[in-house]
Amino acid sequence: MNERTSHWVPPMELDPARAAPVPVAEEEAIIAGRAAELLPVADGPAPPRRRIGRWLIGAVAALVLVALGFDTADLLGRAFATSLALGILVALLVAMAGVAAVALLVGELLSLRRLRRIEALRVEAERLTIDSRQGEAERFAGSLVALYAARPDLEMALAGVRDHVTDAHDDGEIVRLLDREVLAPLDRAAYQRVLRAARDTAVATALSPAAVLDLAVVLWRNLKLVREIAALYGARPGYVGSLRLLRRMLANIAVAGVAESAHHVAVEALGGSLAAAVSTRMGQGVINGLLTARVGITAMHLCRPIAFGPDNRPSLNRIRKELLSLPKQVL
Amino acid sequence: MRIPPLNSVLDGVVDAGARLLEPNVRLGVTGLRRAGKTVFVSTLVDNLLKAGRLPFLDVVSSGRFQASRLRPQPDPDVPRFDVEGHLAALTGPDPHWPEPTRGIGQLRLALRYRPGSSLKRAVQPVATLNLDIVDYPGEWLLDLPLLRQSFAEWSALTLDLAARPPRDELSQSWRGWLATIDPATPAEEDSARRGAALYTDYLHACRRADTLLSLIQPGRFVEPGDMKDAPLLTFCPLPGATRGRGSLWALMEERYEAYKTNVVRRFFSEHFARLDRQIVLIDVLGALNAGPSGMADMKRALELSLEPFRHGGAGWFDWLFGGKIDRVLFAATKADHIAAHQHAQLRTLLDRLVADARSSIRFEGAAVETMAIAALKCTDSVTTEHEGRQLRCVRGVPVGRDRPTVLFPGEIPEDADAFPSERERPYNFLSFRPPADLGRDPRGLPHIRVDQALQFLLGDYLE
Repeated sequence: MNERTSHWVPPMELDPARAAPVPVAEEEAIIAGRAAELLPVADGPAPPRRRIGRWLIGAVAALVLVALGFDTADLLGRAFATSLALGILVALLVAMAGVAAVALLVGELLSLRRLRRIEALRVEAERLTIDSRQGEAERFAGSLVALYAARPDLEMALAGVRDHVTDAHDDGEIVRLLDREVLAPLDRAAYQRVLRAARDTAVATALSPAAVLDLAVVLWRNLKLVREIAALYGARPGYVGSLRLLRRMLANIAVAGVAESAHHVAVEALGGSLAAAVSTRMGQGVINGLLTARVGITAMHLCRPIAFGPDNRPSLNRIRKELLSLPKQVL
Repeated sequence: MRIPPLNSVLDGVVDAGARLLEPNVRLGVTGLRRAGKTVFVSTLVDNLLKAGRLPFLDVVSSGRFQASRLRPQPDPDVPRFDVEGHLAALTGPDPHWPEPTRGIGQLRLALRYRPGSSLKRAVQPVATLNLDIVDYPGEWLLDLPLLRQSFAEWSALTLDLAARPPRDELSQSWRGWLATIDPATPAEEDSARRGAALYTDYLHACRRADTLLSLIQPGRFVEPGDMKDAPLLTFCPLPGATRGRGSLWALMEERYEAYKTNVVRRFFSEHFARLDRQIVLIDVLGALNAGPSGMADMKRALELSLEPFRHGGAGWFDWLFGGKIDRVLFAATKADHIAAHQHAQLRTLLDRLVADARSSIRFEGAAVETMAIAALKCTDSVTTEHEGRQLRCVRGVPVGRDRPTVLFPGEIPEDADAFPSERERPYNFLSFRPPADLGRDPRGLPHIRVDQALQFLLGDYLE
């Protein structure tokens, strides 16, 4: 009749000896984290890029490399011609530079891969939560556990997950369990860091004598915050990897400039008394703090292997309250 | 005027303060026969006491839960739910299912936790919630529709149902007796007792039937509680129209009305009306096992027993309850009898069964949820190969056997009718024995989704 009919199996009892336990395999995969490599790296839709630009950059880079090679060879030859000792010294320096460059490159590539893996995990988590099927979450859990396997601070949480997952949980529930047990403590730690960074920038801006100085402080503190949060979630972005995070950060800072001029207009209109000037600094401090908080929360969104749900989304509210109470503390 | 002594006034103030600081929540646990109420309450208490297997209960997973313990129950005239006895049956050296409860039972559990919001923590660093669990037979819920039926209407409906298969065979002797009497004759206690006894036998036969007949009215006939042999329970439906005073009919009608007033109304005002949360346990798998007629019977029984949850519509409901229950959970129990990947289908089936009640309860503003749960997880999901296909099965020790078996119980279809016409017997759900050595696990009894049920029912009280 239809497909279901042709595959229909009547209810019956089967030989216990031949049955393979589903759950144990699942739990083992979670414990061992061996399923980690199975997860396909999702190829997100590639943003359209200009070919010409890539060609140009590639060609210039190759030229520079070739020139560097020629120069280095030339340098080596000249050094050896001068004396053997100098030659060996230069050769050692060259070798060191080469090894360091390769190590840097590998590190960057690895960190890029980590970021991409986290993105893939996020996509996978979303799919699993929507489908609510069974038997596919173990790969996801394995990857996530592999990501955090070397973290002593998460040992308890991972043990908790192992303890709680049974064969009766479906995929969505396993994802939720990981979210609650493993990522919730990370969220709390990250939020604390955001709070601290926001306070730091707010105070620094309020107290700094020159605008250039607080721009530098804000930039440095934001960069540090982003790297801290990424490391907390296991992404540890390299320099290239941070670019995406940094782009958003820069956009935020651009907004900071706008806010500043708006404040100036307001102060001018009110007549620039000393009190107004002080409160301007305070206002800027609060605004910069809020921007830092936004950068931090964006970083949390970008680095979390499971996307935030509606009830655990970090909110700016608490940070805002904290920052608004700052002027009282400082004055 | 006599002025009360100062310390008694102070006691009263302290009492009121304590009630304010220690909120109570009354959780009603009900379900039709064999739905697993007793085991559910036992598991719930055991897990709340040990708190080792509740990852989806927010207060536990966020580490704010401190401990809970049993406390003396508030109502001295209600029997206590014998949780120790039932747990001993489940976790003892020879684990077996506890005796089903007859009548109402109550238990108070005090939960101590740290509030989640900093505002609440400032007022009260450690909060206590008194959870009163009220366990009552689902049959008593079936009595509720009687409040709206006259004796004549109820008789007509019951007689009609009794004459139809599969009940016609069970009711033969009672209907035979009905044919020999004349309801218009002067009332005699003997014939009333005879009729009630035969009718009660018929109801008991329905309960015992393989096809799992759930529609049993009046509920106290089979679960008399404390009123065994009371005149209130000696009546039965009679055919025909109203007869004159002094007739057998008039006697039966009088007792029917007394039953409504003294039993049904009393139960609902004393117990049901005070509930805050309700969980209704439904043995969907048992009904599937019983075949289409069992399923149809359960559906009818469910529709009747869910009447009290349909706010609005019926005027007496508001009068009785004032819409106090604000969360209702329908749970398909014994989910461990099927492989885990079938839970979603089980839930869909349950959704369909309670769809009407669900939307009308929602309409009145109460939250409704459905879940597939197992109060005590007795099986594991396994895969095995059969004729070149991987089958997901359950493994456990069936009741009455010593060795574990692997059972493929049949699969609930995702979208189609649960009983395809071409199948003789599409399901075979066995009941399994409780696993051995449960008592040694310090984490509490293993379960499926009882923590999520608790989160839905109590989560907002424990924030």
